[in-house]
Amino acid sequence: MEKMEITLNINDKSREVTVHPNETLLDVLREKLDMIGAKESCGEGVCGSCTVQMDGKPVRSCLTLAVEARGAKIKTVEGLADGEELSDLQQSFIDHGAVQCGFCTPGMLMSADALLNENHNPDEKAIRKALAGNICRCTGYAKIVQAVAHAAEPGDHCSDCKS
Amino acid sequence: MSDYTLIGKRMPRVDSRAKVTGKARYTADLKLPGMLVGKIKRSPYPHARIVNIDTSRAEALPGVKAIVTGEDTEGVKWGVFAYTRDQQFIQTEKVRYIGDEVAGVAAVDEETAIRALDLIKVEYEELPAVFDPLEAMASDTELIHEDFPNNVNIHVHIDTGEVDENFAKAHYVREDTFVAPEESYFHAEPYAVAARFDHDDCLEIWCPNGGPHMKSKPLSNAFKIPLHKVKVRKITIGGAFGGRSEICPADYICALLAKRTGSPVKIVFTREENTICTRQGHAMIATHKTGVDKDGRVIARETTCYMDGGAYSSTGPIATSVPFLSMEQAYRMGSVRYNGYRVYTNKPIRGMIRVHGRAFACGVDTQLDMIAEHLGIDPVEMRLRNSRQPGDYTSTKSLVTSCAMDETILKAADKSGFKEKWGKLPPFHGIGIGTNSVQTGFPMGIRGGSQSFIKFNEDGEATVMSGVVDNGQGNENMLVQIAAEELGLLPEDIHLVNADTEITSSDPGSYSQVSTFIGGQAVKVAAENCRKKLFEVASKILKAAPEELAAKNRLIFVKNDPEKSIPIKKVVRTSLLNFNSVNAEGGYWPKVDMKREWVKNPYGQLCEAFSFGTTIVEVKVDPETGQVEVLETTAAQDVGYALNPLVLEGQFEGSIAMGGQGGMLTEYHEWEGGRCLNPTMLGYKVPLCCDMPPVNSIIVESVDPKGPYGAKEAGMSIAMSAAQGYSAAVSNAIGVHLDSFPLTPDKILAAIREKAARE
Ligand code: FES
Ligand code: FES
Repeated sequence: MEKMEITLNINDKSREVTVHPNETLLDVLREKLDMIGAKESCGEGVCGSCTVQMDGKPVRSCLTLAVEARGAKIKTVEGLADGEELSDLQQSFIDHGAVQCGFCTPGMLMSADALLNENHNPDEKAIRKALAGNICRCTGYAKIVQAVAHAAEPGDHCSDCKS
Repeated sequence: MSDYTLIGKRMPRVDSRAKVTGKARYTADLKLPGMLVGKIKRSPYPHARIVNIDTSRAEALPGVKAIVTGEDTEGVKWGVFAYTRDQQFIQTEKVRYIGDEVAGVAAVDEETAIRALDLIKVEYEELPAVFDPLEAMASDTELIHEDFPNNVNIHVHIDTGEVDENFAKAHYVREDTFVAPEESYFHAEPYAVAARFDHDDCLEIWCPNGGPHMKSKPLSNAFKIPLHKVKVRKITIGGAFGGRSEICPADYICALLAKRTGSPVKIVFTREENTICTRQGHAMIATHKTGVDKDGRVIARETTCYMDGGAYSSTGPIATSVPFLSMEQAYRMGSVRYNGYRVYTNKPIRGMIRVHGRAFACGVDTQLDMIAEHLGIDPVEMRLRNSRQPGDYTSTKSLVTSCAMDETILKAADKSGFKEKWGKLPPFHGIGIGTNSVQTGFPMGIRGGSQSFIKFNEDGEATVMSGVVDNGQGNENMLVQIAAEELGLLPEDIHLVNADTEITSSDPGSYSQVSTFIGGQAVKVAAENCRKKLFEVASKILKAAPEELAAKNRLIFVKNDPEKSIPIKKVVRTSLLNFNSVNAEGGYWPKVDMKREWVKNPYGQLCEAFSFGTTIVEVKVDPETGQVEVLETTAAQDVGYALNPLVLEGQFEGSIAMGGQGGMLTEYHEWEGGRCLNPTMLGYKVPLCCDMPPVNSIIVESVDPKGPYGAKEAGMSIAMSAAQGYSAAVSNAIGVHLDSFPLTPDKILAAIREKAARE
């Protein structure tokens, strides 16, 4: 198969890569750009651990071809923090104990971040729906839902919320 | 208890930052210079003799760097116990399940490695295969392992005496059989291993593990090299749940390929391989016969259990015992006889999983509910009449010291409104209770203890070394929390070096729920010893006796006169200037009965502490579809002492998801001729965010006399009691005691229909 030179816009940086037309965005991120934040857990579009954003929408990078991502603004977990400064959502995940083994965390954060960009004040049902495509085997989701809710609306009604 | 700085506090985990930024590296994320891709050729047959393996075409493929078969090994067989060594890492004579290892390939890229697998020609002679434990026991065709007559891998026999006499005396006796198929871990991280040999011919290896020292020993045996030449490195791990305790043949194959090629090699499992070729939970048929007195107290029980062990022994003796032990710990039961048979079949290998025996545990509780119904006792009262009490000995002679089983039952019942709801809920609406107990540790021989080293650096910060591994449950944070508390430092001053066999001392690993109790305790003792050294130096400077000193917030101060203080950093530097480094060691070895053995002598002190848990579940069943809607769950556990409630709640919530919501409603494997039909997440349904009910977590503290700060196992007795609570609630909702798990809509609808037909 012919290789192609493509340009991807990842976390507001332009990256040139040579890819096969059948290469997934996930493989290109992980193998060619050493961005290992996105994880492969199922490789078939079920688990959401490979979730990144394209133009603000969560996508499964294991089912997205790298060539399809040309022209889109791609955002990965590496783009959430501003230097050393974590995003509110990342901090909220830490403060609420939403991270256990952490393997699902990057994908979970990208889905949650996309939700919060679209809906600034989602209720529990909306959060659970937005995260329904991200499997977490460790947490039972309760603390993840709580972390997203508090990132949306910080308050002192929760002992784990520092904001 | 309340004057701790960090212990008992809701402390966010120190490992979270690397995980939320995507920086944490798991095995599959590792890249070493010149690294090759490894793949494993697996058996397509459930049982077959290997006639010939021809690797010539694969070897000739450009880009292939090495191919290994059983011929290239030292022929060492693996088994957790001397009497269970039945598994070669690469098969030479026979394959025993679809997925068994027959060859390994290392190539420059994945595509080449996969093509090479196809070019390896293996000639097989198919043998008759068995897939059902009862058929395997009765089968007169070729044994799966020659030395195991009737394909019985393990037989655990326990008899406390007077069982028949007590049945004869019983007011009411009933016998029921419960069944459940296999379940799987579905760790988020598929198994992966990376290996290389360094300039000193030492093997360096990275892989998910439940204890690095449990990997280094079998690898040193397999390569016939000294233990110090195997360096199992620390790496972030994406879940274990009991499934990563043992050596995996892929570890050996990857290392062998690295040795052959002189390059680093990495093998990453597909999701299917993770399901089929690591471990699964045992399928099980459990028959419980229980006799009670007129008040519902169990005076005799006899259980016979057949477990489908799959192709090899794995942790067989332990796995055959633990379902029984958990229930004998949870409930008093007069006299008892247990016969557990783990039987070889031509299916994937079964190991330890978070819920030890759904059919066993849910069977005991379902039957208690049946008996209670017969006697007109409510389920909460039934449990209180049979629950384990502090100071008791279990049937197999373990003393139970701390035990707040009753408190977990009462608090969960109170919070869930059980008494008000029981018998008063509308049709197809039910509530149920499950109780369980999990051991904090097993007798592990020379690997039963943990040791920690602490050294102070000249900047006043400390490096803590411990063999404890973190699979995701928060063990690293636990160690940091304990060290910081004892040394009077802040968590960020503690630098943890853990789970690396080159540096850290032997440790029992994270399975058997013992990391806090033993590994945490070892760090606590080391930190206390280190603090003593600091206090000796500080006492001269502060002109106060060491006993009068305390350490907090990087300061050492006089307890009665806190103004008199000195920074720890200054104490360390003073000590160094006086030619004394500040470091210390500490260890902890639980006093268990070393003569206790799973098969030969299953009596004596099993471990020093037991946890106790109760889960109450309220459900609604749709009689048209058989779908279960879980309205609320309440989980109460006696954890000894809550070191970090934030982490504990996470364990409870995760336990409800895996043990109850998934384990009792949707999770099971389907088979056809030894082939698993649902090895991936498409076919195997784990709970999603939108499925989960609310979880009320109740932490009960009994302050264990031996545990660090009184802590013991946390979380697993919730996973197990959740399974029991879910099954009880569904049974209550439909008015039928179900005996086949998980409780899928087809079974529920069939039970509703049969009941309607009867009435
Ligand atoms: S790895 Fe992409 S959805 Fe699972
Ligand atoms: S934290 Fe382990 S899978 Fe979500």
